[in-house]
Amino acid sequence: MRNVGIVGIGYTPVFVSKRKDVSIAEMISEAVDAGLKNTGLKPEDIDAYVFGNMATFEGVNMPHLWATEYMHARGKPIMRFATGGTIGMAAFHGAYYHVASGMADIAMAVTYEKHSEGDAQVGLMGIITPEVMAMLAAGIDVTGQSGMGAIGGGSAGGISFQASSYLHRSGASIEHIDAMAALERRNAAKNPYAHLKDPEATAEKIAQTPMVSWPIRFGHICPTTDGATVCIVASEEKAAKIADKVAWVLGVANCASDATTANLIESQITDPAEQLPAIIASKKACERAGIEDPKKEIDYVEIYNGFAHQTLMYLEKVGMCEVGEAHKLLEAGELEINGRCPVNASGGVVSTNSIGTSALNRVTECALQVMGQAGERQVEKEVHKAMAHGWGGLMQYCTITILGDKPKKL
Amino acid sequence: MDKKVAIAGFRMAAAPDLETTRERLVFDLSKGLLDDLGIDRDAVDNFVLCSNDFMDGRTISHVFLGPPAGGYMKDQTKVEMDGLNAMIYATMGIISGQYDVTMVLAMSLTGSQASPYLYTDYSLDPTYDRQLKLLNELSAAALEAKSYLAANGYSEELLDVVASQNLGNAAANPGQARRIDGVSREKVKASPYYYEPLRELHCYPPTDGGCAMILVSERKAKELTDKPVWVLGMGRSTDTYFLGDRDLSTSLSAAQAAERAYAMAGIKDPRGEVALAEIMSLFAHQEPLLAESMGLLEKGKAAAAYESGETAVSGKMPLNPSGGPLGGHPLCASGLIRAAEAARQLRGEGGDNQVKKDGVALVHGQDGVCAQQSAVVILGT
Amino acid sequence: MEEIKDTFLHPAVPLDFQNNYRVGAYMQRYLDGFKEKKILGAKCSQCGRVVVPPRKYCGDCNLVMEEFVELPQEGTLENFTVGHVVLEKGQLNRAEAPYVIGMVKLDGASNALLARLQVAPADARTGMKVKAVWQDQVEGEYSDLDCFEPA
Ligand SMILES: [Zn+2]
Repeated sequence: MRNVGIVGIGYTPVFVSKRKDVSIAEMISEAVDAGLKNTGLKPEDIDAYVFGNMATFEGVNMPHLWATEYMHARGKPIMRFATGGTIGMAAFHGAYYHVASGMADIAMAVTYEKHSEGDAQVGLMGIITPEVMAMLAAGIDVTGQSGMGAIGGGSAGGISFQASSYLHRSGASIEHIDAMAALERRNAAKNPYAHLKDPEATAEKIAQTPMVSWPIRFGHICPTTDGATVCIVASEEKAAKIADKVAWVLGVANCASDATTANLIESQITDPAEQLPAIIASKKACERAGIEDPKKEIDYVEIYNGFAHQTLMYLEKVGMCEVGEAHKLLEAGELEINGRCPVNASGGVVSTNSIGTSALNRVTECALQVMGQAGERQVEKEVHKAMAHGWGGLMQYCTITILGDKPKKL
Repeated sequence: MDKKVAIAGFRMAAAPDLETTRERLVFDLSKGLLDDLGIDRDAVDNFVLCSNDFMDGRTISHVFLGPPAGGYMKDQTKVEMDGLNAMIYATMGIISGQYDVTMVLAMSLTGSQASPYLYTDYSLDPTYDRQLKLLNELSAAALEAKSYLAANGYSEELLDVVASQNLGNAAANPGQARRIDGVSREKVKASPYYYEPLRELHCYPPTDGGCAMILVSERKAKELTDKPVWVLGMGRSTDTYFLGDRDLSTSLSAAQAAERAYAMAGIKDPRGEVALAEIMSLFAHQEPLLAESMGLLEKGKAAAAYESGETAVSGKMPLNPSGGPLGGHPLCASGLIRAAEAARQLRGEGGDNQVKKDGVALVHGQDGVCAQQSAVVILGT
Repeated sequence: MEEIKDTFLHPAVPLDFQNNYRVGAYMQRYLDGFKEKKILGAKCSQCGRVVVPPRKYCGDCNLVMEEFVELPQEGTLENFTVGHVVLEKGQLNRAEAPYVIGMVKLDGASNALLARLQVAPADARTGMKVKAVWQDQVEGEYSDLDCFEPA
């Protein structure tokens, strides 16, 4: 096993609803060029590229093929991953293994989403369209299948089952989701690469947004964003020459359960708020990173939260607090930028969701915190170790990356 | 590269229509392979899946394939599209020391699709080629074929020769999907044109199929197999997308990928050291074109090589003894099947198509029109 | 146990997306040129390569191409194929009649354009000179440049 470190990242100048001024490939190039500029690397220094986005959302199958020139990747290996919401971190893990295995010394993970050019909710419906069509073809009445109908209504419909189950089990209330959403929108205001920002956001303000599907309000939901992110990783030897501050990869893991846990059909077999994959992936990543108790050893967390209740829920799942404790930390102000358990100082996915980038942004934001380069959103406490979480698939797939300010002892 | 990662076993399936579901196909391949090795899914610590959402007609389609593959609550990821990339990624995980036993599983039901070529349309630049509707996988391949034949002074007959050799090999391989008895050059030539000079039998048939492969660390190889096939070298590269910028008479991506794989495997004389090659040639002209680009055939001498029997199963440089993708091309699985077929040869299980030569095997996989991307893996015993 | 022969439904899925792609600044310049029946390319300041349609990067030099140049309407047919099939929505169908598409290298361009050729299949020759044929009404769309015909 070789040590691998993050030596630099690159974002598009903005993350907004509609980038009307650029094509997909041109938008990708902005992040790639930013990554090269930030590290002082030249295109010829990159040994391998790893690419990811949600292909079906924009109706593009292998965008890296026609974006090759825009990544300066001619003559280079490009590997494409596609794992849904977690794609950003799957691509990051891809770049990590390129370097950890010695197949590359410097690798770049490139991710993007240009939601304005596609239809994310139709894309999500594509997950179950085969089932719906098969049921209709077989003469099965689907009108009574509320779980399926909810998923058919897009991600927010399906997720309301998870949120209500989480509230029931944790003892948190809908007001906690409001407060969590408000906290993240305030954090987003400190992040130049966030989409929905509101320095004045309060729980009361969020509570006034329309109810979408109980307990999910409009203010709890992520936007659809256009943006691209790259992350450059390097071997220990190369990293020292490229960057003064390096965020070292201490452990990576992922885990998937059964797609039917998404409450897809009425015969659901597990609770959508159980999220065993998050628990298992975190345990595996901690083990690989040599971390015994994340509560004590992890200083900063970035949670993939398409919906605001997920920040609270996943803090518990990944082991940053006990079950039922997250909303109490929130009440005590511990989740704030100056708190003892700061989370999503970036504003999280709930403030910015260009899906391809979303799980990678969790890693890059952790890296910036570890490197002390997060600017206005740098948390008050010292960050030696940070955990990035990714969530996606059909609500059944989680990825974890743990970073540290020192390389792993091999 | 040292003998660090081995293929412990594989299972393949291919047919014009497997009359099955994706989930069932994945389960049968995975369970069959685990049974072959006498292990259960607990022994596998990582799953690398490979399929395509557009071909599956389902967003994030692999979430339904993870459980039948045996990946429930396991490390799992998905590489798109060609399966040889998935195999290379699985190998990286083992070399890095993170995993010992990895299942690679690639599949698609392209043959039984209502619209088997749909994915190629979605793979084109949406702001240009998809608007013009001129470029597609077949028209691009025809331009490539024409450019290759013209640059080397080969006649169209070469396509018939290559196709009949491949289809002959495929007929003797029970695992292939397109098995035509006694296919002659004349029969190939009698098939209708798609885009000139490419005829139906010069082109791959849309195929249902998949391939499961278990890769293991050196430590585990001893436990799981008596016939380990080692991964000795890997290389990949990408050419420009823009067809009008490329010299279509040669493959830059294959040349670069092979060069990198040879360097890793310490191969200095490919023509002397490679015993056989499984090449992802989706169209007849691509087999000699890619073989020349990878230094397996002498540039400009391919026609003579085929005529003299050099590329036949019994020849000096057997190409696609399995019958290659002209005998069956399940999208995503195709490159991984090439690797499994090469491993079958190295294990001496090639049946009627067994190559009787010592040396390493070269495996080639590709993505994009006219092999914009190539991947090469060198296998050996 | 008796083997059960699998029988499956084959439900067709009308997975059809509506997408609205932005062509970006370079392609927009190209299409704007169509309004005046002009063909624009982008020129690399380092290697001097001229590519058509224009695009942001020169892949050879990994540099942004900043100069737009107008290209002549005539060029050479570098390569062509006669199509006997058409691909529509992923299905392969026989074409009504054979047709010619080919790679046209405009005079002064460094790369070739894929285009439809208004020429009988038997008359198409590699190396023949061809010229652009425009629609009578041009609107800044891809279809304005209808095809190429022998010069
Ligand atoms: Zn240049």
